[in-house]
Amino acid sequence: MSATLEGRELVVLREGRRIVDGASILVRPGEAVAIQGASGSGKSTLARALATLIETDAGTVLLDGQDAREIAPTQFRTRVAFLAQLPAMFGGTVRDNLRAGPALHGKSLGDADARELMFAVGLDPSILAREARTLSGGERQRVALARALANPSEVLLLDEPTAALDPDAGERIVALLRTLCGRGLSIVMVTHVEAHARALGGTRYRCERGRLSVDA
Amino acid sequence: MSYLHISLPRLLLSVGLIAVAVALSRRSRLGLEGDLIWGALRGAAQLVAIGYVLLLLFDHEHPAWVGLLLAVMLIAAGATSARRVEHGPPRSVLFPRAIAAIGAGALVALVPVFVAVVPLHPWYEARYVVPISGMMLSNAMNVVALVFERIFASASSEADQIEALLALGATPRQALEGQVRATLRAALLPTINGLLTVGLVALPGMMTGQIVSGTAPEQAVRYQIVILYQLVAVAAVAGLVAVAFARRLLFTARAQLVLPRARPAICRRGGARLRGGGARRIGDASLDPAP
Repeated sequence: MSATLEGRELVVLREGRRIVDGASILVRPGEAVAIQGASGSGKSTLARALATLIETDAGTVLLDGQDAREIAPTQFRTRVAFLAQLPAMFGGTVRDNLRAGPALHGKSLGDADARELMFAVGLDPSILAREARTLSGGERQRVALARALANPSEVLLLDEPTAALDPDAGERIVALLRTLCGRGLSIVMVTHVEAHARALGGTRYRCERGRLSVDA
Repeated sequence: MSYLHISLPRLLLSVGLIAVAVALSRRSRLGLEGDLIWGALRGAAQLVAIGYVLLLLFDHEHPAWVGLLLAVMLIAAGATSARRVEHGPPRSVLFPRAIAAIGAGALVALVPVFVAVVPLHPWYEARYVVPISGMMLSNAMNVVALVFERIFASASSEADQIEALLALGATPRQALEGQVRATLRAALLPTINGLLTVGLVALPGMMTGQIVSGTAPEQAVRYQIVILYQLVAVAAVAGLVAVAFARRLLFTARAQLVLPRARPAICRRGGARLRGGGARRIGDASLDPAP
C-alpha cells in the first residue's frame, strides 16, 4: 500500500521567525523524495510538520487528498511514519520495540512477522532478543524502520537518517530506503548530505530559509 | 482534661533546635541559614496567627467564616504547589489547576467522612472541619507539587520517547503512560510509606496531640486510622486530577507534544522567578541537526 502525501503552502512560525515559509511538496505513491538543505534551513521542522507532529501556522497537509486535520492523528501517523535522526528505543528487546506500534492499536506481532521485518531492513533476526538500547546508531535506524513498518505504514518520513552514521552505514541505509521504495513505500528523506540525496534517486528538493524549490 | 502547659520561656528554648540546624548548615556551607531562620519565624508566626483565628472561629462559629478559612487554606495550598515547578508552565497556568486538583482530592476525602464516619453537628463544626481539612489540603498540596514537578521534568527529558510513540500512532494518554505511572508512584510513595510505618516509626501528629490533650488512646487511634485512609484518598484523587491537567497542557488537541519552556536556573531561586516562559515545541532547541 502506498499513499500520496502533500504539503501545501506550509508555514511554521517560531517567536516571529518563519522557520517554514510557504513550503509545498508532493510525494506520490511509491516515490522517493529527498529534502536537502543546510543546518537551520527548516527542513527538519518541515518534516515534523508533514508528520503532523508539530502545529503549522498556515497551510495544509493532505494524505490521499484528504486534509490531515480531518483524519484522527493516531490513524494518520499509523499510515505516515516519522523517524527522528536518532530514533528513541523503548525499554526492552528489539522484539518488544517492533511490537510497540501494533500493541498501541490492540494488535499483536507474531514471531514470523518480526523475523520478516528484520530481513526487510537488513538485520539478522538473532538481534530480536537483544536489548534495544544497546544497539549501535546504524542498528537503531534499521530497528526504527522495522518498528515503523510493523504498522501499516504507507509513507516514511525520515529526518537525517544518515547524519549520525559513518559513511558506509549511511550509504547502506540509503540503499535500504531505495529497496523499500521499490516495494511501493513512499519515502521522504531529509538530509544535508548531497550524495545521499542523489543516491536516493527520486525528486530532490532544496530547502533554504524555510522555502522549498525543486533541485535541478 | 489535663496536660502540661508550655510557658513562653520554655517555648523559646525550642528555638535552640533551629540554632542547631543553622550551625550545621553554616559548618557544612549549605547556605541554608537564611532559609532556616526565615522558615522558623514564618512557621511560628503562621501557627500563632492560625491559633488566634481558630479562637475567633470557635467563639463565632458560622459556616461563612469556616468556608472563608478553608478557601484561604486552599488558595495557599494551590499557590504553593504551583510555585516550585521548575520544568512546568508559568505559575498563572498551574495555579487554577492546582486549586482544582487539591480541591477535588480534599472533597473526595472529606465529604464522606464528615457525612458518615464523623458526623458533625453542626456540619461546619470548626474544631473538626478546620484541622482535618488542613491535613488533607496539605497532603494534596505535596502530591500535586510532586506530580507537576515530575511529570513536566520527565516529559522534557524523555520527549524523544514520547514523540516516537506519537509517531507510531499513540494517543497522548498512551504516549505519556510510562511517565504518568512513574510520577504517580513517586507522588503516592510518601503516603503509602506513612501507612506502612505508622505506629512503628512515628506516632502521627493528630493522634499524639489528642493523647497529650487527654483523649483516650483508643479513640485517638480510631481518629488516626480515619485520617490515614483519608490521606490515601486525597493523594490518589489529587494526583490523578493533576496528571490529567498536566496531560492536557503537554499535548495539543491534535496530539502534538508541547513542552513548557525551561526557565533559566538563575531565575528559579526564591520568589524572583521569571514570569511567562511560553511553550516549546519539539525540535525548537535545534531546528536541524548539525552536519
